[in-house]
Amino acid sequence: MTVATYVLKRLGQGLLTVFLTVSTVFVLIRLAPGDPAVAYAGPLATNEQLAAVRTEFGLDAPLPQQYLLFLQQLFTGNLGQSYSFQSSALQVVLERLPYTLTLSFSAILLAALVSIPLGVWMARRTDTRSETGVNVVAIAGQSMPDFWTGILLLSAFAVVIPVFPASGFATWGGLVLPTVTIAILQVALISRLVRREMAANFAAPYLTVARSRGVSERALTWRYAMGNSAIPVFTALGTRFAAMLNGVVVVEVVFAWPGVGSLIVRALETRDYPLIQATVLVTSLLAVGVQLLIDLAYPLLDPRVRLGKASAA
Amino acid sequence: MTTTTTGAGSPAEATRAGEARGTAVTRRLLTRSEASRRASAARLKLWVGAICALVVIVPILLAQVLPLPDANAQDLGDRLAPPLSAGHLFGTDQLGRDLLSRVLHGGQVSLAIGVLAVIVSGAIGVVLGSIAGYYGRWADTLISRLLEAQMSLPLLMMLLLVVALFGPSIPVITFVIAIAQWPEVARLTRSLVLVEREKPYVSSARTLGLGRMTILIRHVVPNVIKQATLVVLLLLAQAVLLESALSFLGAGPQRPFATWGRIISDGQDYVTTAWWMVTLPGLFIVLLVVGVNLLGDALRDRPRRTTTSRLRGLLGLRDKAAKGATS
Repeated sequence: MTVATYVLKRLGQGLLTVFLTVSTVFVLIRLAPGDPAVAYAGPLATNEQLAAVRTEFGLDAPLPQQYLLFLQQLFTGNLGQSYSFQSSALQVVLERLPYTLTLSFSAILLAALVSIPLGVWMARRTDTRSETGVNVVAIAGQSMPDFWTGILLLSAFAVVIPVFPASGFATWGGLVLPTVTIAILQVALISRLVRREMAANFAAPYLTVARSRGVSERALTWRYAMGNSAIPVFTALGTRFAAMLNGVVVVEVVFAWPGVGSLIVRALETRDYPLIQATVLVTSLLAVGVQLLIDLAYPLLDPRVRLGKASAA
Repeated sequence: MTTTTTGAGSPAEATRAGEARGTAVTRRLLTRSEASRRASAARLKLWVGAICALVVIVPILLAQVLPLPDANAQDLGDRLAPPLSAGHLFGTDQLGRDLLSRVLHGGQVSLAIGVLAVIVSGAIGVVLGSIAGYYGRWADTLISRLLEAQMSLPLLMMLLLVVALFGPSIPVITFVIAIAQWPEVARLTRSLVLVEREKPYVSSARTLGLGRMTILIRHVVPNVIKQATLVVLLLLAQAVLLESALSFLGAGPQRPFATWGRIISDGQDYVTTAWWMVTLPGLFIVLLVVGVNLLGDALRDRPRRTTTSRLRGLLGLRDKAAKGATS
């Protein structure tokens, strides 16, 4: 199998996943109690008004017919009008996307910069007292609910000592607190992974051989051990990033960040079907895309990996 | 030689040093070996974890017995009382409800949801994972694809969606969290069963004419269940966090008591004037989750008391089976 067929196969699988996801969501939201017409027209609307709204949104058609229309929209790239924004649902999502991307990217960058050196340090002195201490702190970091850390950081650094803006994204300073909030959890998770991988490599016979040949400690750490830990560490960073693209809901809500996460919460509250569908479509496409990019990067990290071979990675 | 960096060679070195001095391996050298350092780190985690978890769990279990005001009783004359004020150890909230009582009663709900969710997800995960691992072929393909598909789904979004669909009742939230968590158990069980089914006792059982189902249930599963259940404590920690995130977003149970995420979300507006409303319930979550995480970690890392692992520990080799199970 060549690289091209491998990529095509993976793309096909990815698109199938996305298709199944959006179809599931399509069915689920229509099974849900709560009527978008009521949310749109208000609780005081008469039955006639509600009926008119349903006709306008195409909600009075039978479910299979609505689904066919949805498929048609899916393939033409027009997911319909958002009920609450009065404009193209896809457009609304794409306008919010850069904010979520900025936040996710800066969080994963910060996490990588802190957790890789930290993990290496932990691996070099496994199970000493100071390392166990740091490990316990990392477990604590992994155990804090992100909304809680978010609120505490917010009240400390935006209210009590007003260094950073409390919410939104008016200046770059507004990026700091949400980034740190997300990164705390990621640092805890990734540094422990780096520790595990590196410690296993430090204990491997090839490293003892290299050391006895007089290879410097620095080269042993960064070129030998890190070289062999690169794939799992990179995979973890990539998967975490992909998860963040749709998982920063809570932090976005806390910091009133104008991203996709706070959008979906609002869309669910107002039963904005087209908006929910557009959000799920865009985020799952992104997640699948990032996953594919990670796999394509493996041969760059480890020349032994050949894409398309069964034994790869 | 810089043995402190790896520690892997130290037991072997100890033997060499002992030989040079004409003595056997001394007790001091043994305590410095990697295996015993690992064991003592695990012991420390076990103790700290148990204490953290019990500090939270015991008061929660005793909430009905302790002399506390009713968790939902309002007293508008006593609003936003700070902690340690008369009759309110944790202070009161914006409606004058006793915060400690709310946290403990809400904790019963959170804890119950977490434990139930883990039992359900563990059961689903072990059943599907062992089927995928043992039967292979189409069963494996189907289950593995399902796992992959779920891992690439926008998880929290789907959870919110389902809770919006069926309403934020305790069974729904439990079920939703269980569904979110079964892939982890299933993947682990599958990989354990894959190793187990190649062992001689399985082919012996087959030669004796036992059916595949019987071999799987009576012989293979009992051998992997212990390792598979070790992951359960880590899942409990995740379940508690997930439930608190859901209830923070307003998709948590309201009855009989508001859970931790909801209490924190209520306190958000008062964070500058009444710090305790956010800080104290959050500390409860952190203590519980840290405790459970540390316990799970320690149980996983604890050197197993089998002859082979003791031998391996002495030789400074890593326990391959234990490592494979955790990665």
